[in-house]
Amino acid sequence: MNCDEINVWLDTLLEEINEIKVTRKSDRRVRVDVDASSLPALLELLKGKASYVHLSAISCVDWPDDEEFELVYHCWSYEAKSLLSAHTRIPRNSSEEFARYVSVYDIYKPAGFFERDIYEMFGIYFESSPFMEKFILTEWNGPPPMRKDFDAEAYVNETFNWAEYNPDWLQEITEEGGGIAIRPEDVRL
Amino acid sequence: MSKLGNIPVQAKSEKKRTNPLARVFDELIQFCQSRSMFMLHYCTGCGAIELPPAMTSRFDMERLGIQPMVTPRQADILLVTGYVSVKTLKRVILTYEQMQSPKYVIGICSCTVNGGMYWQSYATAKVLNEYLPVDVYIAGCMPRPEAVIMGLRRLMSNIENGKGNAWKDYYERYDYYLGNQQHLFGDDWQTPVDVIGEAKFYDLEGEETYGEHTRTLEQHQEPLEAAVMRVKL
Ligand code: SF4
Repeated sequence: MNCDEINVWLDTLLEEINEIKVTRKSDRRVRVDVDASSLPALLELLKGKASYVHLSAISCVDWPDDEEFELVYHCWSYEAKSLLSAHTRIPRNSSEEFARYVSVYDIYKPAGFFERDIYEMFGIYFESSPFMEKFILTEWNGPPPMRKDFDAEAYVNETFNWAEYNPDWLQEITEEGGGIAIRPEDVRL
Repeated sequence: MSKLGNIPVQAKSEKKRTNPLARVFDELIQFCQSRSMFMLHYCTGCGAIELPPAMTSRFDMERLGIQPMVTPRQADILLVTGYVSVKTLKRVILTYEQMQSPKYVIGICSCTVNGGMYWQSYATAKVLNEYLPVDVYIAGCMPRPEAVIMGLRRLMSNIENGKGNAWKDYYERYDYYLGNQQHLFGDDWQTPVDVIGEAKFYDLEGEETYGEHTRTLEQHQEPLEAAVMRVKL
C-alpha cells in the first residue's frame, strides 16, 4: 500500500465516526476536530489501525472569551508520511484551581511529558497521568503563567526593580526630543 | 581569633602591617593578578554564542592572559552571558559563592543589565547586580567579541589600578544581597557557603553585613552536613 492510498483510506474511515469534522489541509496534513469525550478513542484508533505511532507534541491554546482550552494532539505517521492534528476543546473551569481532562499516557507514552508541562503552564490536570509534579518552573508558586489572564507585566513590575541609567549624554538627547523617553500615549497604567 | 566553620582563623587586623615597605609589591601583585585570570563562563543565555569566537583563534582571549576554567573553585572571573532566569540565578549564586576571592563578575548582554528584551517575562531576574556584585557590564544584544574583549580589558585595568573591588562589597553589604535573594527564593533560602564566616576571615565585616535578612537566615538555617558517599553493589 503506498502512502496516498493510506490517506484515502483514512479519510473514508474518519468520516464514519460521529461528531467529528475532518479537514484535509493538503496531501500531508489533516485537521480533525473532535469532541473531548471521543478524543482518546480517536487516538487509539489512529495509533492502532492507521499507523500514527508518533505523538510529537500536545499544544494548548487558551480561549478566555469562550471559557475554553483547546488541546491539539500532533500525531505523525511514517507510513502515510503525514501529520494529523486532533483538536479538542475542554471547559476552562475558571472558578476552580485547575481544569481537568484525561491523560492519554496509556496510548502514547510521551504524553506524560507534555501533560506535565501543560499542567504547569496552563493548569490543566490530566487524570491518571503518572507524573504531575513540578517540572520546569520549580521555583514558581504563582498561577499558571501561560494563561492569558495572568498579567506578566504587572507581576514583573511588582516583583523586580529596574536599573537606573540616565547619563548626561542621554539627558541631552532627551531634552532635544529624542532618546528613550516613553511617549505619553505609550504609558501603561 | 575568629572562626571559619569550626576552624579558628587569624583575622588580618590582628597583625597590622606596620612595615613601610609592606606595600611596595602591591602594584606588582595587582599587575600580575590582572594578567593571569581564569574565567568561568556561565552560559545562561544567547549571548554565550559570542564567546567561542572571542576565546578561540579569531579574537584569541588568551593573548590577554584569560583562559577558560572548568571549576568555580579555581576561577577568578564569573562571566554571566545573558538572561538569568530565577531558577538559573540560584545556581549562579551557588557558583559565585564557591569561587575564591578575589573574584570578579562580568555581566554580558543587556538582559543582565536591565532585563533586556525579556523585561516583561515573569521568569527572568532583571538587574543582576541586585543579587551579585557585578564588576563590569557589557551591554548589547548581543555584544560582539570586540566588545567582550573591551570589557575584559576594562576589568583588567580596574584590577591593575586597585579598583576591582566589587567582591568586597558582597561581604560588606551581605544583608542587602541576601535580602534581594530572599525576596525571590523565599525566606528559607540558604547556600552551603558560610558567607559571614568568610567576611570575618577577610576582615570585611561591615555594619551592613548584618541586618534583618541575615537574622531571617539564621532562623531558617539548617546545619550543613557532609555528603555521605555510598557505594552501591
Ligand atoms: S541581551 Fe540579547 S543576546 Fe543577550 S541574552 Fe538577552 S536577548 Fe540574548
